[in-house]
Amino acid sequence: MNQDVLIKLSGITKAFDGETVLDNMDLEIHDKEFVTLLGPSGCGKTTTLRIIGGFETPDAGDVFFDGERINDVPAYKRQVNTVFQRYALFPHLNVYDNVAFGLRLSHVPKAEIETRVKEMLEMTGLRGFEARKPSTLSGGQQQRVAIARALVNQPRVLLLDEPLGALDLKLRKDMQNELKRIQHATGITFIYVTHDQEEALSMSDTVVVMSRGKIQQIGTPTDIYNEPVNAFVADFIGESNILDGIMIADKQAKFAGQTFVCVDGGFEPNEPVDIVIRPEDVDVVPVEKGMLAGKVSSVTFKGDYYEIIVDIRGFKWMIETSDYVAPETTIGLSIDPDAIHVMKKSEYSGMFGDYSTFSEEMDHLSDPDAGQGAEEAAE
Amino acid sequence: MKKKLSLLERMAAVPHIVWIALFIVGPMLFVLYFAFTDKNNQFSFSNIGQLGNYSHIFLLSVLFALIATAVCLLIGYPLAYFMARSKPSTQRILMILLMLPMWVSLLIRTYSLLVLLDNGGLINSLLKAMGRKEPLKIIGTGFAVVLGMIYDFLPYMVLPIYTSISKLDNRYLEAAADLGCTPVGTIFRVVLPLTVPGILSGVTMVFVPSISTFYISQKLGGGKMELIGDTIERQFKQATANAYHVGAALSLVMMILILISTLIMNKISDGDEGGVLV
Ligand SMILES: Nc1ncnc2c1ncn2[C@@H]1O[C@H](COP(=O)(O)OP(=O)(O)OP(=O)(O)O)[C@@H](O)[C@H]1O
Ligand SMILES: [Mg+2]
Repeated sequence: MNQDVLIKLSGITKAFDGETVLDNMDLEIHDKEFVTLLGPSGCGKTTTLRIIGGFETPDAGDVFFDGERINDVPAYKRQVNTVFQRYALFPHLNVYDNVAFGLRLSHVPKAEIETRVKEMLEMTGLRGFEARKPSTLSGGQQQRVAIARALVNQPRVLLLDEPLGALDLKLRKDMQNELKRIQHATGITFIYVTHDQEEALSMSDTVVVMSRGKIQQIGTPTDIYNEPVNAFVADFIGESNILDGIMIADKQAKFAGQTFVCVDGGFEPNEPVDIVIRPEDVDVVPVEKGMLAGKVSSVTFKGDYYEIIVDIRGFKWMIETSDYVAPETTIGLSIDPDAIHVMKKSEYSGMFGDYSTFSEEMDHLSDPDAGQGAEEAAE
Repeated sequence: MKKKLSLLERMAAVPHIVWIALFIVGPMLFVLYFAFTDKNNQFSFSNIGQLGNYSHIFLLSVLFALIATAVCLLIGYPLAYFMARSKPSTQRILMILLMLPMWVSLLIRTYSLLVLLDNGGLINSLLKAMGRKEPLKIIGTGFAVVLGMIYDFLPYMVLPIYTSISKLDNRYLEAAADLGCTPVGTIFRVVLPLTVPGILSGVTMVFVPSISTFYISQKLGGGKMELIGDTIERQFKQATANAYHVGAALSLVMMILILISTLIMNKISDGDEGGVLV
């Protein structure tokens, strides 16, 4: 990957009606990079893209493109194309003319327009739809026209605002691979917005996790998954058991009423911390061999593994195991030192409880009793 | 899908149907009857046969109405665009300014133009004060008549266009800018095509009263500019036995003209369903 910084946001702040939407945001995007902005609804992802695209002006801060400040450059002069969240296809033009719109404006020869548009429609699975008006297309077809319309111009930077949201699972997987392939082949810098963490992890070079208008963490998918910086990131990316703990000393963490050997250090003695343990990093062992023991309260078959909820001193853990265990049995658990991830306390500490109210919708409401239990456990 | 109407719903339509029958269909039948009968109430094509004598008046009426409509569109579209794109407070003020003359009767508005343009009127007094000897002759020219039409009917052009521009979703303008379209280019490539329905209703609403007006041409034409509306009015005013029948034939032609222009408008808007569907 080329390490040149292509786009730089520096101290970007944006408020709507007195409500801060982006708060002093700094971000560097490299040439040819696939960057994903990931965060819950309303965290400011679209607003960030709109500032890069030139559709919003920041209240404070600067936007740089190729080292040049572009705050005052209007959208139509920026070398950026956008796949809009709500498509914004021109209703008076058919699919072909929608896709050809940008090429005609840059006076590409007619024959070339034709080959490039055809190629792009082929790639997005829209062959035969040339003469159709957008209003006669399904949501997923419209979304693909929007992708084709932006991508056909081969811009330096492509902004994609949840470009696959309206597609079914299979088509979405296909398009993910296709977009990734195109990004590789053309070297276009992708700035991709999604709130699907799996999509973010599987496609990106760099993931930017946002919450409440602030960047929480920037890193490679592996970094973000393995080394979340705070409870928010740990909770948002994948499944996590987040516990209150205390760093007794370097490499000694106390949580769930026990002291564990871990690999993290650099905290004050007895500093309160958040501990993250991923469900797949916990081993189920016989009770007498376990570091912890708990009672299985539910078992769900997930295809290639079982997801079990284990009650350990009132705190419900989620654990993934390949061996079936019966509900209501007591099992032992063992955790490797490098599976224990220690994080500084943050504004998000304590906001994510255990899995006591866990449902398929990932409803992470904390249960006050369980929280109590966790606190006791940390004493 | 057709839904069966309940008895109550059908009853509710009765006054409306009676109204249409009495005041719209009835008079039209009378027009048809008079157009095809002579003064002895015998069936006859003689009125239709006489229509050829008025062909130059028809032509002049169509010409004036076309010019007035075209000028209204050229002035009205940018005005509507500017209004729709300005701040809400500015929009409100401009809207009031545009609507204000419409609170005044058409006759009085036309009179006010007469006062302005007459030989002894405001403009000529000013010119005289500036040293011009001969008054500038405006009243009695085609220019004055067309000006009167534009002045009287411009709001009917601006309003529907303004409505369709303000309903236009900003997303399309952003998408155009995103693809490299300049603001001016966006007007021609996106805004204009998407506001065709507004343009069509504006054109209809100016063309129809322009082609049928008689008052404007009488006052501002100084009696020298006879349009089809004037001819029809004169026929009915004469109230001679025959004039009624010729007037009815002329009216019939005018109705057909208006019908044709409406059909053309519908044809255009059908061909361009995109803009309406938004
Ligand atoms: N034009 C606007 N006027 C007022 N508020 C706005 C405007 N645009 C965005 N907001 C607000 O700013 C916040 C961030 O919006 P944004 O569209 O950036 O969120 P997002 O991260 O893209 O969310 P989603 O995933 O739902 O698309 C929201 O609270 C939204 O209501
Ligand atoms: Mg969004």
